[in-house]
Amino acid sequence: MPGASSRLIAIACGTAGLAGFFALWQVIGHYQLAGLSWPPLTAVLQYLFDPDRHALFLRAIDATLRSTIAGYLIGALTGIGLASIAYTLPMLQRGSDRFAAVVNSIPSIALGPIFLILISREATPAGVASIHVFFIVYVSMNSGLASTSQAHEDLFSALGSSRLKRFLRLNFPSAVPAIASGLRLSWPAALIGAIIGEWFGAPRGIGILIINSMQNFQINLLWSAVLLAAMASLFFFGMLTLVERAAYRRFR
Amino acid sequence: MTGAAISIEHVTKRFPLKGQSAGVMALEDISIAVEQSEFVALLGPSGCGKSTLLRLVASLERPTEGTVSIGGEAPGSLAARHALGVAFQDHALLPWLNVHDNIALPFSLANKPVDREAVGGLIDLVGLNGFETARPGQLSGGMRQRVSIARSLVLSPEVLLLDEPFGALDAVTRRQMNIELQRIWSRQRITTVLVTHSVDEALFLADRVLVLSARPGRIIREVATPFDRPRDPAVMRSATFHDLVDDLTDALHPTDATAHAGR
Repeated sequence: MPGASSRLIAIACGTAGLAGFFALWQVIGHYQLAGLSWPPLTAVLQYLFDPDRHALFLRAIDATLRSTIAGYLIGALTGIGLASIAYTLPMLQRGSDRFAAVVNSIPSIALGPIFLILISREATPAGVASIHVFFIVYVSMNSGLASTSQAHEDLFSALGSSRLKRFLRLNFPSAVPAIASGLRLSWPAALIGAIIGEWFGAPRGIGILIINSMQNFQINLLWSAVLLAAMASLFFFGMLTLVERAAYRRFR
Repeated sequence: MTGAAISIEHVTKRFPLKGQSAGVMALEDISIAVEQSEFVALLGPSGCGKSTLLRLVASLERPTEGTVSIGGEAPGSLAARHALGVAFQDHALLPWLNVHDNIALPFSLANKPVDREAVGGLIDLVGLNGFETARPGQLSGGMRQRVSIARSLVLSPEVLLLDEPFGALDAVTRRQMNIELQRIWSRQRITTVLVTHSVDEALFLADRVLVLSARPGRIIREVATPFDRPRDPAVMRSATFHDLVDDLTDALHPTDATAHAGR
């Protein structure tokens, strides 16, 4: 099967790429080619998986993931909700597009203080994450809705479909693959949002570890926290890629 | 007798075009009366506006001048009453629904409970038994068109509009689909307008064939087919059929005379 062999090649290339990346990291760190602030990979892994620090890292990643998931869900539901309303009530479309664009154009670092005032320190990470997710999901759903085929639109017109039925049975299902792509792409953005949000005084989280270790020059701690964040990001990104593939199979 | 009569009176359709204030004239002063339970085929070269004519009856377009009415109603109100059945060249099946659910879709859009017996009966009629749970992506082109035909019939519409429903199929499948459609139609006798550019298809299926000229579309010829219903595929081999094919082909392509008429 040509499909299977090309897949094998892709996996082999990916593995080779990752191995090369890690090897380069190790070499640069080992010979201190980039100075003291670039530790070898093995030193970081040793630090990260030291049983004495398990509790510290678990508490941090737990807090960050909770904020990320909460913000992710809120942002996704708001994005889907607003895009649906704007699509069914065309008079709102322009205004809601502008609103989304304006929200997105404000750097999240500037939104932090506003969230601090509006909601609590603990909820700010989820708040910033939700803003990131909202925009991506809103835009992808809009383009998904616009991808409804004209032949299907004509069919629904000729069959005398109501606007609501057309949305539920045609436009929304047509948009599902695009929404799934948006959901996949917005996960890393949600994680970054949560980490930035933590800098505004959250009690714990990966963002706190990063900022503290930077200020105290705890290089191994800094790299461990970053590595942990990257692993969490990649893991969920991978899962969401599977969801996206399933959505494309089911709805295309 | 089922269905409603269609009346197209002095219809002109112009499409706006940049830089041309008059726009493109797609149809010019067309008048057609389709009787109740009559099957009319519109035959014409591509771009003659025959699809536009059908879209006017389906309420997907509005005439620039003139009126279209179905049983005294505006096409839009017939569509709103869910009394229209349509099948287009693009089968327009929903890829996320299986065969059964695609055929049952009009019930949902009409806010009616799904009549499982009607859906099952149509699946039977179009010969798709055993494929109820297959999705459109798993079907051949001919099977998809059969699903599309079944869907157009499921609400027992008053008017059936077919726009090149078999245009994308190969000749053998197309002929087979024509035979099946003829069989199905002879049982239900719904007022039908078929748009096609196949002379054989028009003659085999319709009671009356109207030939449209190239843009702007105008009716240049009208032929009533003399065959009884239900029609046996053997009529396609009869001398009368061949004469009519020659006649209509000539009307379609007046320039190359009868040179290719036999095809």
